[in-house]
Amino acid sequence: MASLVKKLLTAFAVAVPVMMSIAPAAHADGERFVFVSHAPDTDSWWNVIKNALKNAAKETGTTVEYRNPPTGDIADMARIIEQSAATNPDGIITTIADFDVLKASIEQAIAKGIPVMTVNSGTADQSKQLGALMHIGQPEYDAGKGAGARAKAAGVTNFVCVNHYITNAASVERCQGYADALGVPLGDHMIDSSQDPTQVYNKVKAYLTAHADTNGILTLGPNSAEPTIKLLRDTGETSKYNFITFDLSADISQGIKDGIVESAIDQQPYLQGYLPVVLLTQYKRYGVMPANNINTGPGFVTKDNIGLVEKLAGEYR
Amino acid sequence: MANSETSVPAARSSDERLRRQSILRSMLSRPELGAVAGAILVFIFFAVTARGTGMFAADGVMNWVTVAGQLTIIATGAALLMIGGEFDLSVGSMIGFAGMMIAIPTVYFGVPIALSVLFAFCGALLIGFLNGVIVVRTRLPSFIVTLASLYILRGMTIALSILFANRTIVSGVKNFADDSFVSWLFAGKAFRGFFIWLAEAGVIGTLPNGQPAVQGIPAVVLWAFAIAAVGHIVLTRTRFGNWIFASGGDANAARNVGVPVARVKITLFMVTAFCATVYATCQVMEFGSAAADRGVLKEFEAIIAAVIGGCLLTGGYGSVIGAFFGALIFGVVQMGILFTGAPNDWFQVFLGLMLLTAVLFNSVIRRRATGER
Amino acid sequence: MTATTNQPSETPIIEVRNLVKHFGAVVALAGVSMKVHAGEVLCLLGDNGAGKSTLIKTLSGVHKPNGGEYFVDGKQVTFQTPRDALDAGIATVYQDLAMVPLMSIARNFFMGREPVRKFGPLKFMNMGFAEDVARQEMRKIGIDVRDPGQAVGTLSGGERQCVAIARAVYFGAKVLILDEPTSALGVAQTSMVLKYVNLVRSRGLGVIFITHNVRHAYAVGNSFTVLNRGRTLGTFSKSEIGIEELQNLMAGDKELQSLSDELGGMV
Repeated sequence: MASLVKKLLTAFAVAVPVMMSIAPAAHADGERFVFVSHAPDTDSWWNVIKNALKNAAKETGTTVEYRNPPTGDIADMARIIEQSAATNPDGIITTIADFDVLKASIEQAIAKGIPVMTVNSGTADQSKQLGALMHIGQPEYDAGKGAGARAKAAGVTNFVCVNHYITNAASVERCQGYADALGVPLGDHMIDSSQDPTQVYNKVKAYLTAHADTNGILTLGPNSAEPTIKLLRDTGETSKYNFITFDLSADISQGIKDGIVESAIDQQPYLQGYLPVVLLTQYKRYGVMPANNINTGPGFVTKDNIGLVEKLAGEYR
Repeated sequence: MANSETSVPAARSSDERLRRQSILRSMLSRPELGAVAGAILVFIFFAVTARGTGMFAADGVMNWVTVAGQLTIIATGAALLMIGGEFDLSVGSMIGFAGMMIAIPTVYFGVPIALSVLFAFCGALLIGFLNGVIVVRTRLPSFIVTLASLYILRGMTIALSILFANRTIVSGVKNFADDSFVSWLFAGKAFRGFFIWLAEAGVIGTLPNGQPAVQGIPAVVLWAFAIAAVGHIVLTRTRFGNWIFASGGDANAARNVGVPVARVKITLFMVTAFCATVYATCQVMEFGSAAADRGVLKEFEAIIAAVIGGCLLTGGYGSVIGAFFGALIFGVVQMGILFTGAPNDWFQVFLGLMLLTAVLFNSVIRRRATGER
Repeated sequence: MTATTNQPSETPIIEVRNLVKHFGAVVALAGVSMKVHAGEVLCLLGDNGAGKSTLIKTLSGVHKPNGGEYFVDGKQVTFQTPRDALDAGIATVYQDLAMVPLMSIARNFFMGREPVRKFGPLKFMNMGFAEDVARQEMRKIGIDVRDPGQAVGTLSGGERQCVAIARAVYFGAKVLILDEPTSALGVAQTSMVLKYVNLVRSRGLGVIFITHNVRHAYAVGNSFTVLNRGRTLGTFSKSEIGIEELQNLMAGDKELQSLSDELGGMV
């Protein structure tokens, strides 16, 4: 028994210096920023943003810590913002995944005198209301509407919106914008696909079988797009649908080249990671800040411009 | 046998010696000892690794206290139920469902907030009751029964919120609840005056606008203390508490001496549902919204806290005080790792390792103390 | 084979006549009659499947009989629950199911009958009282409990049985039904339990002692009932039957039975 205690204490003796060697790294000479996202650990899309943060930190000589609630619970995210504020960083970059939930935490950070920028989810209005310096992102509803307009032009009348993150209000906005552009009520055109590829595959399959008159598909990201692409390849219905997806991945690029996917809405996430770090650094050092919000999207990636995008997908695009 | 009445003086003197020993022994054999020791270890660890990061400044402290407090609420329910020999895996889903039971009637049907909260509590108690009845009647493992409830409740939360509200996040509860008694009860901040005084005295920091860095103790923390205290007293000092130990330790033996085991277990399922609803109500009142994904995986956090606190997975042994310290350990570790600035990709690895260490440390301490074989 | 009792004049504490119990098509008790008087140890002997445990469970109110009569102190009774039997003074100590090993002695002692103290509308368990009583009652039977707060799991098997018996006695049992209390015990532990059974008897309680072991039975019993296939093979007082005969009755019958089976029912 005594030896086990000794072993545990030894383990700690080893662990402490390891943790300590990490801790000072977080407090290097340069400014320290914290980036708080709402994405659960399983969401690979955020890898591009993590890479952008790394690049931006290296180029500006600052430190950026990436934080997220492991299960994607926004109430937990509020605690992480509070925690970040308690460490007195030089700036906080956060998404506004749920305005009501995050409001108090973000306002508290701002009241503490910490510069806050908002990115990705949320609207410019919400950002302004919170007192953030600026918002960098893609307006979700407008992006959905843009996609809907393209679909309408291509003759879509009946659609399915494959939502893999139904608990996020922004995801519903995307479907809503698309539906409004088509002039079709959203109703049960939106399906909760979950994040599991097999489930997405089967749920979309079931929907398309049951609704044979469907001619438009909107997926909200690689999590819902990739299994859907696979499904269409398997059934051979590669050109039956006008298929638009949010975001990019290697599979989606291939889908665009093969003509299965008409276009991908690119909100250019790299900029959502890179720009706030660079801008906050300049703000901190020289007190300069652009006067307007920045829309990083929607940009549409089609067969015509896929070449460059494809090379960098999953890393910087 | 005849000596039983004869050797009174000898017995008395030996009695005194034994009593002294028993105080020391009972102190050492308490199930929460390991968790207390683990908590001290964790604090020492972060005192070293997170020094100067703001973790021990007023707002930093309030941050992990709040997280630990939230967890204490559900860990207390989980601990009582585990001591009673059952599990509830539907706690996390219950949090999401209870939140919706408050938000949807309030925002979409104009029900006064107090009634919505009452409705949520009644609904949750009913679900807890059903969980309990199914477990008791079918004699299936509660693990399986409540795993089913986990899916059913989460699914209903999504389905019903889409049905009634056409969205999975119902916001705007604050418009109906601000300044109400319910909001004060579940999301108020206590001792504001005290914190203003602390700030003026320079004990805690102030914000640039003159407000103290921490405005008060959140209601959720007070709820945590209250629920843990009541749970502890009920468990150790009442007849019902004795029945909880008996039902979890050996249900047949308990039944043989007339303990109403079924009633005890059903009640405990209702207690966990009640605790989950307190958690949910505090959250909805604080954030003003309910969402279908609230509380995901919280059931495991509650069980982990109870186990760190010395509850046996097999039932019949454990304590609420232990679960309280278990929740403290979990909350401190969860937030403390962020304070140390450890890379995010490794967060869950660190979390798991620290919890494992705390559990091992606590079980070693407990074995040494109780002389368990 | 005449069934007799040793104290025919007194009213027995418990008497059953022609008790019948079936579970579906299986007949577990096919008309069992027996009685126990105050200050008497009745040993119930029989092999596995003889119907011993069904009989105990029927006596203690767990099962309801399908036929026959049940008298307590001469009055006919029907028990709906084990609680009813307990309230009538019939306490059953089950072999493994008497104690919760993880709970303290005091908590076990008062399990199901916790002493409470009132503070206004609130009721609290009186732990001080529970511990004092547990300690005293254990000392009365010669077991020095170091700490009534210690877990029952730390006691020996014999001590556990004694705690269970002491508990039943403390709560005013008139009849104790002991289900194989010695079957899992060593020699010293067995003698501790047997001594205690004798002490309880001498205080005027009736005891029904269920066992496989004829020698244990003969050491404490006043009369002996042998069960086989749901029927009694007879009841004998200690003066009527020697230990050898009793042994033969249990064992011999079985041999006869198997012989009879072998010879196709010719014997």
